[in-house]
Amino acid sequence: MSIFTSMGQAEARRRADQLAASLAGMGVPCKVEPRAALAVLMVESGVAQRLADGELRRAALALAREQGFTHLAVELTAPAAGADATLPRP
Amino acid sequence: MSQTADADIDAVAELEQRAAAKEDALAEWFRARGRVAIGFSGGVDSAYLAVAARRTLGSENVLAIIGRSASYPAEQWATARRVADSFDVEVLELDTDEMNDPRYSANPANRCYFCKTELWGKLVPAAAARGFHTVVDGTNADDVGGYRPGMQAARENTVASPLAEVGFSKEEIRARSRALGLPTWQQPASPCLSSRLPYGTSVTPERLRLVERAERAVRELGISGDMRVRYHDDVARIELAPAELTTWLDPRRAEELRAAVAAAGFSRVALDLRGFRSGSLNVLHGVTTA
Repeated sequence: MSIFTSMGQAEARRRADQLAASLAGMGVPCKVEPRAALAVLMVESGVAQRLADGELRRAALALAREQGFTHLAVELTAPAAGADATLPRP
Repeated sequence: MSQTADADIDAVAELEQRAAAKEDALAEWFRARGRVAIGFSGGVDSAYLAVAARRTLGSENVLAIIGRSASYPAEQWATARRVADSFDVEVLELDTDEMNDPRYSANPANRCYFCKTELWGKLVPAAAARGFHTVVDGTNADDVGGYRPGMQAARENTVASPLAEVGFSKEEIRARSRALGLPTWQQPASPCLSSRLPYGTSVTPERLRLVERAERAVRELGISGDMRVRYHDDVARIELAPAELTTWLDPRRAEELRAAVAAAGFSRVALDLRGFRSGSLNVLHGVTTA
């Protein structure tokens, strides 16, 4: 059974915050929304692209597992009005 | 030619030989029964099973039965009809009503048991009424060890699984499907749409249509391999083959993906960072381990 089935919201929030802090430490600043054993990363424009790196992605998945999350997903957000999503921002 | 290439050719030849031997055993199995009705979805396994039965027994002794409901993707129905037409397999279509069974729509971990109970409960008598007293499904040897409560319903309704009985693996079924010219030979696995909803999230026709629209939108972007859109209320979590992740995390492609799934009706779109895994929601709920 997933640990999240028996866990309170406060504990899930704590684990999500710990995951966010760990991810920020490896260059992926984000907020983490816990949804049972799924962690949804909410990132600023351009940050999701960093997770295209396989090594970084594997490290992020390992950190998520350490906090009890079985699934990790990054939210895709619409580009801000006037932004050109095809160009990296300075 | 390199030693690696030689080894690859040897492995393919060995696979084809092994699969052909199992097809002979399957033909024997069919001949011993004389007439068979097949639970036919148009997926890799049941399509191969129907064509193999037709080749062995002739069209008058084979009936492929499709159970139609909201959880059955329209594209898969089209594939099923195309295979049946191309290989001269007779088809019967029945409507199933699992959506109105509260034990199913509540979406417990054993949801498949209630779906298959409804399916076989209609299909087996319909087959018998047409003189088909052996009913089979497409369960293969790889399926036998997993968490599949639907298999219990098959056993309770005396539905046989000849592919599993003769030891056919998915890889071998694909090899024989390719040799026979079935269009399904490299089709991704395609379980019912309800498998996209986490256990405990009630199954409704609206939610299934939302997932179906979203998956169709993703396919229209050119993604042809294993893929799922998992429903998490307002969030669509997309699982792509791991090799696709780098491409679809590129900002321009990510925006295409987000826009396509949002247009299908999800307000938020997320990309799973591990990628596709069969039975993903079983892992999410601790029913199986990663």
